[in-house]
Amino acid sequence: MKLTAHLQEGLLNLLSSKLRSILALLGILVGTASVVAMVSGGELATSEALKQFKTLGTDLLAVTMMDDPADKKNAAPRENLTLQQANNTITASKDILDVAPYTQLYNPTQFDGHELNGSVLGVTEQFARIVHIDIEKGRFISTLDGYAFYCVIGQGMYQQIKQITFLDPIGQQIQIGKNIFTIIGVAKSWPENSFVYANIDNAVMIPVLTSTMLSKYALINNIIMRLSSRSDIDQVKNQVTQYFNQTVGNKRLFFRSAKELILKMTKQSEILTIFLGLIGGISLLVGGIGVMNIMLVSVVERRREIGVRLAVGARRIDIRTLFLVEAVMLSLVGGTLGVIIGMLTAYIIALFSHWQFSVFLLPPLIGFTVSVAVGVFFGFYPAHKASQLDPIEALRSE
Amino acid sequence: MRGEMVAIVGASGSGKSTLMNIIGFLDHCTSGNYIFSGVDVSRLQDSELSHIRNKKIGFVFQSFFLLPRLNALQNVMLPLFYRGESVEQSREKSLKMLEKVGMHHLAHHKPNELSGGQQQRIAIARALVGDPEVVLADEPTGALDSKTGNEVMELLLDLNRYEKRTIVVVTHDQEVSDLCGRIVTLKDGTIVT
Repeated sequence: MKLTAHLQEGLLNLLSSKLRSILALLGILVGTASVVAMVSGGELATSEALKQFKTLGTDLLAVTMMDDPADKKNAAPRENLTLQQANNTITASKDILDVAPYTQLYNPTQFDGHELNGSVLGVTEQFARIVHIDIEKGRFISTLDGYAFYCVIGQGMYQQIKQITFLDPIGQQIQIGKNIFTIIGVAKSWPENSFVYANIDNAVMIPVLTSTMLSKYALINNIIMRLSSRSDIDQVKNQVTQYFNQTVGNKRLFFRSAKELILKMTKQSEILTIFLGLIGGISLLVGGIGVMNIMLVSVVERRREIGVRLAVGARRIDIRTLFLVEAVMLSLVGGTLGVIIGMLTAYIIALFSHWQFSVFLLPPLIGFTVSVAVGVFFGFYPAHKASQLDPIEALRSE
Repeated sequence: MRGEMVAIVGASGSGKSTLMNIIGFLDHCTSGNYIFSGVDVSRLQDSELSHIRNKKIGFVFQSFFLLPRLNALQNVMLPLFYRGESVEQSREKSLKMLEKVGMHHLAHHKPNELSGGQQQRIAIARALVGDPEVVLADEPTGALDSKTGNEVMELLLDLNRYEKRTIVVVTHDQEVSDLCGRIVTLKDGTIVT
């Protein structure tokens, strides 16, 4: 028996009960679409989350210093890191290529009497280099600025100021706390990054030394380091810890490495993707049960037909193939449409989340394969049941 | 006997249909042997039985049993489809057979567009298309009015007379059985005459 003949006949049978076929198909379609959309969405989210490291690079290590709470009992005067000491972290290991200490303040910021939303960062020249801040207008903070009351504003800040005045922001003045700062530069838009806690777009950046004068809370306790690409991160951590123990002591250090962060994020999103896939899989399972249900009804309805076919010489395997082909065709068409709709859904998700859309090969492949497997699996039982009918009983049934 | 036209008669419940089902390889006999063309077929496998049904038996049923989704031609082609013949070849054979039963012009009609007599003619074409050794007709005129019933019987008689087909007719209609060359009467599961 030729397969094409079976396909033709299967198609004929499916078309003769259109509504029922469409409903069975719909179950598979929705299931496949949800698998494809969910897995694609998960993969898109992952690549979106990792995209930030593409610009920043992965060889970054950040360290945050905190006072050891056990130390408070000693009531010893707290020793804070000086800029000099912070900059000298570079000598701790030969793998450290660049260091950028920074401070973070939350003093109220005003422009022309209007409150601005954002934070104040005390930074050095190296900061722009390591976290890739590009300048749109003017210049960035320089080492030569020393204790000067100059500031560079982020793109978000610039947008806020634009609503207040049409004047060129360079040379305008911003009030931070009780001090007046002159704007010397505007930074370009900066993609937010989970590695650098501060949001550069909504920040006013001032020389780090100036920041330490503004508030006693402005401590140099954050340092971002760029490492050489083949560095052993654990070794660098040890070296840095050792360096701080010698210089300030009694500090608790918290390290964040971009590489470890990426690893953690990848692992997390992998789990997320698997979970999403499983959720989609459940709907595919339900779709499969729908196919089985409809095939079973079809077998009962077509008992007479099965009897006639057996009487004219169909073998049991022919009857099984007849029904199996129908189930597989349903899931094949449902699977194909499901993949298309799933990809479309992923595209729409990407569009609304402002993610970059890219086609991953794996989700449609998985969706399609699983949907066909579901068709075969759930189609087999009804087909087998049909093939085991007794010809006389089948002929007698109404 | 080969080339005979036999009628199996008897009251309902006498075992006519069971005998016919056994002859047609649809049922196994619980005791005794069934020798068909010199072969004991009572212990054959399912697939072997299918093969024999396909090649050597042609069924004509009381209520025709045409597949409603297929047109007349496709219905007639069905035995050849399960024989694995090419579509072109079986189409040609089936058209020829439809012509023989006078249904050539209705080849592309669905069964529900045809009258009972027309459907039975198509069913006879389906039974004959595989060139079987025996045609088994279970009450072939039972669902037809007497006029079309006579026409169908004429057709079967002609096939026996001119083509020397072996035809077994199960019936309880005296008129029908009288037309046949030999009559086998069943009573309570045993052959009386």
